[in-house]
Order: sequence, then structure tokens, then C-alpha cells
Amino acid sequence: MTSTVPRAAEATESLGEPQGSSKRSPRNETQRSRHWRENLAGYGFLTPWLIGFFGLTLIPMAYSLYLSFTSYNIFSPPEWIGFDNYARMFEDPVYVNSVKITAIYVLVGVPIKLAAALGVAMLLNYRDRGAGFFRSSFYAPSLIGASVSVAIVWRAMFSTDGPVDDTLSFFGLEIGGWVGNVALVLPMMILLAVWQFGAPMVIFLAGLKQVPRELYEAADMDGAGPIRKFKSITLPMLSAVVFFNLLLEIIGAFQVFSSAYIISNGSGGPAGMTNFYTVYLYKRAFTDGQMGYAAAMAWVLVIVVAILAFVLFRTSKMWVHYQGDSK
Amino acid sequence: MSTLREIRTPADPARGEQARPPRFTRKQINTAIWFAVLMASTAIVLYPLVWLLVSTFKDNSEFGQNQGLIPNDPTFDNYAKVFEGIAGVPMWRFFANSTVIAVAATFGTLLSSSMAAYAFARIRFRGVGIFFAAMIGTLLLPFHVVIIPQYIMFNNLGMIDTYWPLILPKFLATEAFFVFLMVQFMRGIPREMDEAARVDGAGHVRTFASIMLPLIQPALVTSAIFSFIWTWNDFLAPLMYITSPDKYPLPIALRLYNDQTSTSDYGATVTASFIALIPILLFFLVFQRFLVAGVATQGLKG
Amino acid sequence: MFNAHKRRSILAAAALTMAGALTLAACSSDSSDPESSGSDGGGEGSGEEVTLDFAFWGNDVRADLYNQAIALFQEEYPNITVNSTFLGYPEFWEKRQTEAAGGGLPDVMQFDYSYLRQYSENSLLLDLGPHLGNEIATDGFTDQILSIGVVGGTTTAIPISTNAWGMYTNPQLLDTVGVAEFGGGSWEDYQAWMAEVTDASGGEIYGGTDYTGRIQNFEIQLRAEGNNLFNEDGTPGFDEARLTEFWESGASMRGDGASGISQQQLEEIAPLSGFGAALTASELTWDNFGGGYLGELGESYTELGLIAPPVTVEGAQDLYQKPSMLHAIAANTENPAESAMLVDFLVNSPEVGAIFGTNRGLPASADMRDGIAFEGLDEQIRAYEESIADRLGDAPPVPLVGYGSLEEKFRVLGTELGFGTISVEDAVSQFFAEMDVILGS
Repeated sequence: MTSTVPRAAEATESLGEPQGSSKRSPRNETQRSRHWRENLAGYGFLTPWLIGFFGLTLIPMAYSLYLSFTSYNIFSPPEWIGFDNYARMFEDPVYVNSVKITAIYVLVGVPIKLAAALGVAMLLNYRDRGAGFFRSSFYAPSLIGASVSVAIVWRAMFSTDGPVDDTLSFFGLEIGGWVGNVALVLPMMILLAVWQFGAPMVIFLAGLKQVPRELYEAADMDGAGPIRKFKSITLPMLSAVVFFNLLLEIIGAFQVFSSAYIISNGSGGPAGMTNFYTVYLYKRAFTDGQMGYAAAMAWVLVIVVAILAFVLFRTSKMWVHYQGDSK
Repeated sequence: MSTLREIRTPADPARGEQARPPRFTRKQINTAIWFAVLMASTAIVLYPLVWLLVSTFKDNSEFGQNQGLIPNDPTFDNYAKVFEGIAGVPMWRFFANSTVIAVAATFGTLLSSSMAAYAFARIRFRGVGIFFAAMIGTLLLPFHVVIIPQYIMFNNLGMIDTYWPLILPKFLATEAFFVFLMVQFMRGIPREMDEAARVDGAGHVRTFASIMLPLIQPALVTSAIFSFIWTWNDFLAPLMYITSPDKYPLPIALRLYNDQTSTSDYGATVTASFIALIPILLFFLVFQRFLVAGVATQGLKG
Repeated sequence: MFNAHKRRSILAAAALTMAGALTLAACSSDSSDPESSGSDGGGEGSGEEVTLDFAFWGNDVRADLYNQAIALFQEEYPNITVNSTFLGYPEFWEKRQTEAAGGGLPDVMQFDYSYLRQYSENSLLLDLGPHLGNEIATDGFTDQILSIGVVGGTTTAIPISTNAWGMYTNPQLLDTVGVAEFGGGSWEDYQAWMAEVTDASGGEIYGGTDYTGRIQNFEIQLRAEGNNLFNEDGTPGFDEARLTEFWESGASMRGDGASGISQQQLEEIAPLSGFGAALTASELTWDNFGGGYLGELGESYTELGLIAPPVTVEGAQDLYQKPSMLHAIAANTENPAESAMLVDFLVNSPEVGAIFGTNRGLPASADMRDGIAFEGLDEQIRAYEESIADRLGDAPPVPLVGYGSLEEKFRVLGTELGFGTISVEDAVSQFFAEMDVILGS
């Protein structure tokens, strides 16, 4: 590849490291004017995002960081209390419980959901004829928004003598309804998340559509089996999308809110088993008027997820393959 | 643009068939298994939705009492009630409001996110690393803690009870999800494609518009689907910014049948939320077809 | 596909739209400015054309009633335009909290007792003192009821309606199992009666729900003993030992095979209540919940019993009337007089009373009650609040800031006791820890 155009996208790989053009000493006028042109184009394309970031996102974010060091009940001005909010979390049994169930939700739910999404996406990608119906059917559960209907239908599915109970009883598992069983509410919430696997599935599908068919045809001619094709073509070609889905599902699962809020009618019950991180944060912020504490909770979450994301970005160099970055 | 045409030779649709000897039986068996597996999983996945559909014919008092599929006493009352509207606002009004918001938001998201994604994925400029990290960072903060500061900002702009707080951010690529999604897809596009254009003297604007956008069509379709559906279902933002009932979008209207402090009409709630699903289901049905015919599937050289 | 020309026009369109957004926004904020129009010289207020924002919580049914009431108001005062908005209860308050922080409360609000102190102490509500007896007629109110809306010596809200703690029973269920209506008595008597109902039905239905999950039951016991739940200065009127005793007293109503419905079963039928699902024969609650129960029970149940709660100390004045709703006016309203006229209309007008019936609770104003032909459940509630006159004491201090959170915490701990996921000892210490946080802040 005779590269006359500078490759840019590496920047995204080295997250957090500003791309210093100063590292490269300008060799001649053309080089310099190209840098200037690239900067101009870069900021030109980024203008809407920059306005949004500085105008709508950054100030509220910074403000919430400030609030996390204050006692703020929404009504009176914030009062600086240093790290008290952060210290309080460790002594708050409800907080500790919400961390625990959220961690389980992420660790168990995300892999199952992604595996289901990838498996179904590959099945759907097997052939195009007739796939439209199935694609829509699998996506349909993800269409339901945060309406009370979700609570009604999911509770009905998992109630005593509901379809789940009946099916399990048929196989000899007499465990009764899940809804009122403290130990089974979290699995029930995880299954709800898995049921709504449409978003990652569609993204996987879109990714699969980008894999050039010639690769498979070439592999067919080499006599490669389906497993080898999956490992040496599908996964590497799909790795950018796998990475995206993994990161976004982790972030999304840590912030799970609507489903839990609606199913528990805002209480986080039964026995705190749906009191996920953001549900608790929301209750503290809006029901209890403890905005400062809620902001501190939010920023602890940001830091934890940011570390996770950073590690993911770092390891992604080893397993994510970008066709556009081929060296 | 001659280089482009050479690369993008359309695939011969018959090629796959010709390459192999006709093994109809094996292929048919595979297809039959494929069909059976998908049918079975579809049945499981769709059952709760079927339950929801059937329960739109249940009387309000059956909710919580009759958890089975079949209504004890089928009725159309729920539909009659839903079509009456809420407090003098006809039901179609909520649909129209939601449509206006979702269409505008989707358009804004596609435009602004693809631009930002192109800058992150393909342009090397000063500060790209920092801004990319900042973009990912905006994904991490739970929305709830920025509600109040954002409300104050839009209040100062005099935009309360208009749709601008719901639409304007979408034109400013504030949803990092879509920017990042498109970045990932753009990075999957072989660089030869746009380099060829650059060598031909195309600037970034032309490379973006005539090379990159067609090539990431699956990502654009995906984003359009998500953006439309998520905006359609968004509850918190309209709750904050819209005050007039005749400007409410559907997710707010749906909750107006329930009041914990007096009575709740679950029959009407379920029925209304089922009807609310229909437009987005149609939207999905139409747009998912473009996931098949992605330009990128045509003869890219790996 | 996209070409450069098309893209340019898209950009241009986007730019135009945004510019349009700003202009539109500017226009709309201008046009909502009430000063801009001329006057027509009617009514008690300035007579100018004014627009009032009015917010309430409720469902579609209540919204229809308010629409009718407001139409009447606008007939009477053609110069006043009322823009009303409504939401469910939790959303209503989330939005008000945000508006309070951002400075945009509506002119007139339906208000809740548990938020009254918070909004009043932060000067977000208009002092109604100057309007009492002027725009707002007070003849229909007793002094005791008017005093409910006073925080720190200032009247910031007018009660729309009152309710009192009571006990609903389901006569039809009791008939089926063959047990007589609870004849009154102590809490122990009530527990024995519950067990009798549960046994008589063979466990099909239950006598009631574990009442120790509701803070109001604790409160009336404390009041009977001469204490408050919370005092005016924000201190609790009970100690750990008293709360432990209360929660332990519910042991026989909790768990499998108990006299009360199990928490597990309640969870399964949510969002319905045990009483609303015809699984329990009695429920201690606010007396204005009857209509909701009848709605949940469906057409096969037509009547409910409404009797006084069990007695803690004979002759004590443990019950009280609380406003089930109030009306308040935002401190920053530009039209205080017109807002007060709307409040007066909504709390006093007999026509409005005729429209609402007891949808908002039993009207606090006698004028409004005159407009209602009480029948059925409404009449039962009216008669009930009259019948408990001997047990009605002075209302406790206006609830503390954060009272709603504590009430919810109490309820959640009650459900955890029901599940057996927490010991009484731990529940008590968690509740006191929460009180430290809420009352200390």
C-alpha cells in the first residue's frame, strides 16, 4: 500500500493520548499545509459535536461533579462538604446492596445477551429470503418502551402458574412464581434484558453485512468448515462491532433503570432486588432530594466504568481488527 | 472516479450457485433446520407480545387477577376508551407529536453523528484523541444527574414547552452511541476506498458524502432505526420539557391512565401502548430491508 | 446516494431549522408574556387578559373533571386563560422539583401535604394571607382545617379535601367465609379477627395485610400514647425500643401460613393491592382509597365496609384529618390575584364540587360539599369522617422535609420483614440511620 494520505484513525486507538503533530517535524510546505487542511477539515466535521459537547454536555457534567462534593437538596444553594458523600457510600447498606446486584446483572446479563444477539444474528445472516420476518420478530420485544405494559406482561410471564412456571413444572422443576421470590427476581430482570436483545442483534447483523462474501467463498474453496470460517473470518471481521456491542452493553447494563423502575413501581423491591445502581441514584436525587449524594454516586459509576472502558480499549488492540487500519 | 468503479464491480448474483455442484438435498435440509430453529425461538420471543396483544381485550378488572392468555370476557372497551383520547386531546395528536419529534431527531442524529464519526475515524487533526475520549466519556454519566442543569439551560433559552430541547441536541451529535457506532463501521471500511478518491483529488467533504456514507449504509440504517425508536419511546426528556398536554408525545400520554393516588386503567394502558408499537414496528419493517441490500456487501476486496 | 450538492442543501436546511428554532423560541417566550394584551375590565382581579399555568396530578378521569371545572371558570372570568397540565403523581413531583431548581413553577398547583413544608420553607409558595377573605373565601372552612396549610406562621396552601385513616372491609368476602364484620376493639382483637377470617376460608383468602408495614398505623398508636410521630422541631416521637415493639407485634401476620397475606403473594399481584384483588377482607388505609379499590375489584363487588381502625388506648384522640390535597400558588407568579381567584373557585365552588364529587377526596369546604349529592361510597366516607369525631385530634405538625422518603423507607422495610430478608433489629437500625440522614440534612 503506497500511503500518500496520512492515516488518521489510529488516534481513536490510543484513547486519551492526544495526537501530537508536533512529534513529526514538518518536512516541507506541502506537509504543513496538509496539516493545516486536515485540522480545518477535522474541526469542520466536528463542529456540530463540539457545539453540543461544550454547549450542552460539558457544563452540566462539570456541575454534577461539583455537586458531588456538596450537600444539595435542590432548594437551598449547594453547601461544600468535601468527600463526605463519597465516604457515606461505604457505610450505606442500601448502596452496597445496589452495587452487588448491579454487578451480578452486568456480569451475567451482558454475556448472555450478547451471545444470544450474535447467535441469532448469524442464523439470520445465513440467508436473506424469509429473514425479514424473523428479524422483525426478534427485534419486536425491543420496541416496547418504558411503559407499564412491560411490568404487566413480564410479571404475568413469571407469576405462579404463568407460562414460565408451567413450563418448568412440566420438566419437573416446581419452583413456583418468580415475581414474589426474592432469589429469582434478579434472574427475572436479567431475562428481561436478554429478551430485549434486538439492538445488539441489529448491530451484529449490520456488521455481518459488511463482511465481504468473497472471503467466505475463498474459504469454501479451501474446504474450510463452518467453525474455522467463524473463527478466522467472521470473528476478526466482526471484531470492531463485537467491541462496540461489548462496551456499550456494559455501559448500558451498569445504567439499567427504566425496566427496573417500572417493574418495581419505583420502589426497587422486592427486598431491594431491583434497586439497581441508577434506580437508587434516582431515588436519592428526586425522591429524597439528596442531589449531592446522587451526583457522587454517579461519578463513582463514571470512574468505575471509565476504568473498565480504558482496559477494554487497551486490550482491544490485541483482538480488534480494523480493515481500514491494516498495516 | 475511475478507480472507484473498478473496485466496486457489482457481484454476479448467480456466481455462488455456479461455483458449486448442485447439492439440493443438503441445502434443503440445512434450510429446513434453519427454519425450524428460528421458528421455535421466535415463538418463545413473541409469546409475551402475543399475551400483550390478547390482553388488550381483557377487562380492566382482569389485570392482576387473570394471568392466563385468554380473556374471561373479551371486550373492545379498551379500544373504545383509547380512541376517545385523554382529557380532550385526541389520540392521533399524541402519535403526530411523537412522529414529528422522532423524524426530526433521526434526521439530526444521522447528519451530525456521521459527520463527527468521519472526523474521528478518518481525519488526523490536533486533539482528535482527547475529543474521542471525551465523546466516550459522555456515555458514562447517568443521565439523571444532568437533568436539572440542562433544564436550567433550556429554561434560560426560553425553550420550555417547545420541542427544541428534544430535537436540538440530536443535531449536535450529543448521543455518543451513534457517533461511536459509525466510527466503528467507518474503521471497518478498507482505506483503499477513500484513498483512491483522495488521490483523484476529492476533498474530505466529497469523500465523506460520496464514498463513506454509501459504504456505511448498514450503520446508517441501524442508527436510523435506533434513533427513531428510542426517541419514540423516550419518556424523561419530554417529561422535563413539555408541559402542555396537547404537545405530549406518546410515552407520557400512556402513563396518564395510571394514577397511584386514585385509580388505574391497566386495560387502556396496555391497549394504548400496543397501538403505540405499531408505527415503530412498521418503521422497523421498512428499514430493516436496507440491512440486506447494503452497498458494502457488493464486491469489496478484503 | 448523497452528492456534494445535496449535502450542501441538507446543511443549509439544518442551519435554517436551527435558526428557526431560536426565533420560534424567542417568539413563544414573548407571546406567553401576559402584559402584552389589553384589558376588558371584568372580574375581581385587574381585569386584564391573563394566562395562568395550572398543574395537577391524576389520571385521565380527573383530567376530564378539571377540564369541565376550568371551562366553568373561564365562562365566569373570560379574561383569564388557564393552561392546565397534568401527570401521574411521581412524574408530577419530579417535574416540580426540576422546575423549583430552575425557576419555572406553574402559577397554581395541586399540592401534596408531604411536600408543603419543603416548598414553603424555601419561599417557593405565595403567602396567601393577604388573599384570605378577599379573593379566597374562607367561610366554608373550619379554623382547624385552614390551619393545616400554615407553615411557620404563613398560610401557603388551602386544603381541597380531607381524609382520615380508616379500615376498609369487604362484606361480600366476609359473607362467603361466614365471619362477621370486625366489631372494633384493640389491635390484638383485630389480629385475632384476621386469623379467624384466614382460618375460616381455609387459606383461600386472608383477614388482612400485615399492618406494621404502614407508618400511619405506628403513628396512630403513638398519638394514642400522647406522642407525635415527628415533633415540630424535627425530632422523632419514638425510640428504637418502641419501633422494635411495633414491628415485633406483627410477627403473627407475616410469613407462610400467617393470618396476613404473604408478601410473596402481594408481589405477584402488584400493581394491584391484596384488598383490590379480593384476596384480603380488610385493609387499613386512607378513607379516600375506597373508589380505587372498587375499581380494582371490578363489577362483581359493589360495596365496601368502612370502619374505624383498632383502638390503642380507649378514649384517646389518635386519628386526625389530613388534607388529601391542597392548592398552592407559586411565589413568583405574575398574577397573584387571578391565581387566588382560580384557587378560590377550585376549593369553594359548589358547581366544581358537583363535577368532582369525591374524586379529590371529601371536600374541605362546606360550600363545596353543599354542591355534592353524596351517595354510595361518597356518603359512606362523609358519614365515616363524622362518626369518628370523638377520636379526631389536632393534626400533627406539617410533615418534615423528607417525610415522604421516610414513609417509603418504612414501607420498604415492612416488605423486607414480610419476606424475612431482614431481622426486626436490623430494620430498626436501618430506619434510624435513614432518619439521621434525612433529619440531619
